[in-house]
Amino acid sequence: MTDDTLLNIDGLTLDFRTNRGRVKALRDISFPVRKGRILGIVGESGSGKSTVLWSILGLLAGNAEVMAGRIDFEGRDLLKLTPEALRAIRGEQISVVFQDPMTSQIPVLPYARQMSDILYRRTMSDNEKRKAAVEMLRRVGIPDSDSRVDAYPHEFSGGMRQRAGIAMSMLTGPNLLLADEPTTALDVTMEAQMIGLMRGLREDFETTIVVVSHNLGLIAEMCDDVVVMYAGEVVETGEVHDIFHNARHPYTRALLECDPARIADVSRKLPVIPGDIPDLTRPLPGCIFATRCQRVMPECSSLAPPLVPRGTGVARCHLLDGPLADPAWPPPPEVPTVARDAGEPVPPQVRRTAEPLLDVSDLNVRFRTMGPVRARIRGVSDPFVDAVLDVSLDVKPGETVALVGESGSGKTTLGRTILNLQQAAGGVVRFEGKDILGMKESRFKPLRRDMAMMFQDPVGSLSPRKSVRALITEPLVIHGAEGRNLDTEAERLADMVRLPRGFLARYPHELSGGQARRVGVARALALNPRLIVADEPTAGLDVSVQGEILNLMADLQAEHGLSYLIITHNLPVVRHIADRIAIMYLGRIVEEGPAAEVFAAPAHPYTRALVDGVPQPDPDRRRPPAAAIEGEVPSLLRRPTGCDFVSRCPLAREECRMAKPAHRNIAPDHRHACLFPLRKTPELTETA
Amino acid sequence: MSVPPSDPVPAEALELRESASRERREKLSSFLSDWQAVAGLVLVVAFFASAIFAPWLAPYDPNAMDIPARMSGPSWDHIAGTDQLGRDTFSRILHGGRVALYIAAIGVSASLVVGLVLGMIAGYGPRWLDNLLLLLFDAVRSFPAVILALATVALTGPSLTVVLAIVIITTIPSYARVARTATMALRHTEFILAERSLGASTPRILFHHVMPNVIGPLLILAAMEVPVVVSIEAGLSFLGIGVLPPQASWGTILNEGYLVIRDTPWMVIAGGIPLILTTLGFTFLGEALRDLFDPRMGRGR
Repeated sequence: MTDDTLLNIDGLTLDFRTNRGRVKALRDISFPVRKGRILGIVGESGSGKSTVLWSILGLLAGNAEVMAGRIDFEGRDLLKLTPEALRAIRGEQISVVFQDPMTSQIPVLPYARQMSDILYRRTMSDNEKRKAAVEMLRRVGIPDSDSRVDAYPHEFSGGMRQRAGIAMSMLTGPNLLLADEPTTALDVTMEAQMIGLMRGLREDFETTIVVVSHNLGLIAEMCDDVVVMYAGEVVETGEVHDIFHNARHPYTRALLECDPARIADVSRKLPVIPGDIPDLTRPLPGCIFATRCQRVMPECSSLAPPLVPRGTGVARCHLLDGPLADPAWPPPPEVPTVARDAGEPVPPQVRRTAEPLLDVSDLNVRFRTMGPVRARIRGVSDPFVDAVLDVSLDVKPGETVALVGESGSGKTTLGRTILNLQQAAGGVVRFEGKDILGMKESRFKPLRRDMAMMFQDPVGSLSPRKSVRALITEPLVIHGAEGRNLDTEAERLADMVRLPRGFLARYPHELSGGQARRVGVARALALNPRLIVADEPTAGLDVSVQGEILNLMADLQAEHGLSYLIITHNLPVVRHIADRIAIMYLGRIVEEGPAAEVFAAPAHPYTRALVDGVPQPDPDRRRPPAAAIEGEVPSLLRRPTGCDFVSRCPLAREECRMAKPAHRNIAPDHRHACLFPLRKTPELTETA
Repeated sequence: MSVPPSDPVPAEALELRESASRERREKLSSFLSDWQAVAGLVLVVAFFASAIFAPWLAPYDPNAMDIPARMSGPSWDHIAGTDQLGRDTFSRILHGGRVALYIAAIGVSASLVVGLVLGMIAGYGPRWLDNLLLLLFDAVRSFPAVILALATVALTGPSLTVVLAIVIITTIPSYARVARTATMALRHTEFILAERSLGASTPRILFHHVMPNVIGPLLILAAMEVPVVVSIEAGLSFLGIGVLPPQASWGTILNEGYLVIRDTPWMVIAGGIPLILTTLGFTFLGEALRDLFDPRMGRGR
């Protein structure tokens, strides 16, 4: 333990007692946290990264049991402290930024009260405490903080709430700040702002930060040191450049290669790490990653891998040292180590000349904000908000169209309206030329064979008390399964989505996210639809699994000539799978065009902000400073009169505030809604 | 692509099944280590057994009079004594239990079913229907069961059918409210939306997807409602508007005992004990079931 170490975790081993037996959640975790640096712990779900964070603070679940190890902080072992001593450290010297500011802040107390309560140990007057709170809120970028300090959490927007959460954790001037997925609940444009804010705070207050995240881009952009965890073990540690440019552990390498944001060439087939994390209730000799490793050797599953140091970091792999070392490992970064996919490349099936399968024009969806009586009393003549405003969009047979937007952009509402799950206020939706908008359910039902939907939450969109078998055959039952053997159908569908047949007897809560997503795909495909509306198909999935689902969807598209309308906020993924992209902001489509073109040379400033806003999993490629746009998506209740984006647009001019810009074409298949587009000609500018 | 090995039943699936049965075993053992749960179970089983097998267990015909032995206390011949007509009180209690079981079983199950259906309709249907049904539930609940029964009997005359109808009508709202709240919480979940997107009809959504998720709390409520129903029946029979003499019921035994309480206390005691035991039994069992199925609501002691 050297002088610049603030916190040192050494040999931490921890079990969870469950009725499945003892889950060995953490095994021999060791790494130092260096003073004044930002350390990122990265891993997929089940890696134990959050458990490490909570064991630092002694805030583990009741069934956790520390078996061995120590956590040294300022000369004391945190694991041996009395509850009183630990409480004195919590909040004062070590504090936390939580993932979801909505649930981690007290809804019934204003920030002034919550923040002065945090200072309860200090002998300060109430006035001084309030001043400290105002000052800290100002520091994290909350405007008019001397009046906003009296606001309640629900009066703040999501981004402001997270800023306030950071302000609360910084209020006591802690030496160590722990951040648990601090941007996961936020939109891309907010994420960029938070990264900037936390780096700035580190400079100003010389705070050491430990951030836990599954987001490689966030880790690369924010951190100085990185710890990579897999299934309860540290597989590699090191400085951020070493990890991202010269990863030595096969898992780190594979994880980086799977991140769609890192894959430069556009490819419908994404790399994946096959398999699942091992069962942690069993004894685990050898290397923890052996079951999924591309370079696995027979000895890997029995012999514990050596710990190989490099610089300030270590890696745990047989390939690096000892009798099994391979001097050719690791290969140069250009050489892929993860198999792309054994399947043959997908032949393009798109028939551009075909009539659109789905044709949406001038669709409007409005939500009531108050009852008619209250509106009359308050004198509100128009008690509605426009969730979807004059949207026109088409999907051709065999085509993949992506609808991209931040939360509140109306993209999910649009998808549900197309499928007649939500009432529209006006417009036309045609499916195969037939007007289907507002059709009665009894007449719409036959159409549901042709149009299916995949929902956001892979597990939550499955009826919890039904078996997988019942779930995937249900569409057949609903639409009449005369003469079909449901058992064979269930097996056929399971095979189609590559779900092992043994899973048919399981229930949704017994499935992992990726397995549940496969069930969702099977349900959507059961009736051989022509169009699938997929709402965030990769939400809640790990990087290594999302590739499997997207590859599956691409294969099924090639096989069955499906059309996809993919609703998502995840731009890096969309770049690989979409033919066309439509960008939505506040319910309106601001730009639409061929995917490659929209990415390479966006016309609308918002599109550019989204494209540039994606955190790059490359520590050297800092985003252009102009990319981070100010503010956040305004509430639909306060829609600007002019261009919807005017309040955040760096290029806004006076004309932009006057009227909504109409859609204009810069190419036959590329249109936008901006008065002063970033480009006017259809030529692709290679420099962009 | 990662096609996991095509093992017909993967090892982890087997293990999962194994762990599920282990979980069941653990739940059972924690249930059996709770003395209240065991006591509840024993009392409830005793209630069912004594009512069902009453004709074989009863030492005498419940209506056979033995005037010389009237109003005797407990003895080897009559373990719970006799009433003013010399009928064996123990036999009458056993047969009275049949009435209690009849009312409890039919009353509770009928109001459970009706309450469940109405509650799901209120929770899932349009707003106006919800409001209408709520109004109905509140209207019914605003009448005390006994007053409602007295009013009805004034029109129809006393009978067991009237008691049953009153019991069903007055207990429906409690089931319906629980079912309604649970349904409303499910209404906007993604899996219900997913069912709608597949074209599932409303009855299918309600009976296949909503019902399995709301029935648990209702069954626990039903166990807790049994003693309520039994005491309503006893109360109404005590007032003479339920079971008609000479038929035995715990309420009529209490009523007859009450008339002669200055001469002998044994009839009131003998009529009261089964009521108390039944109430305790079902309450203990209901609480134990609640702890079992919803550990979050576990007793915070």
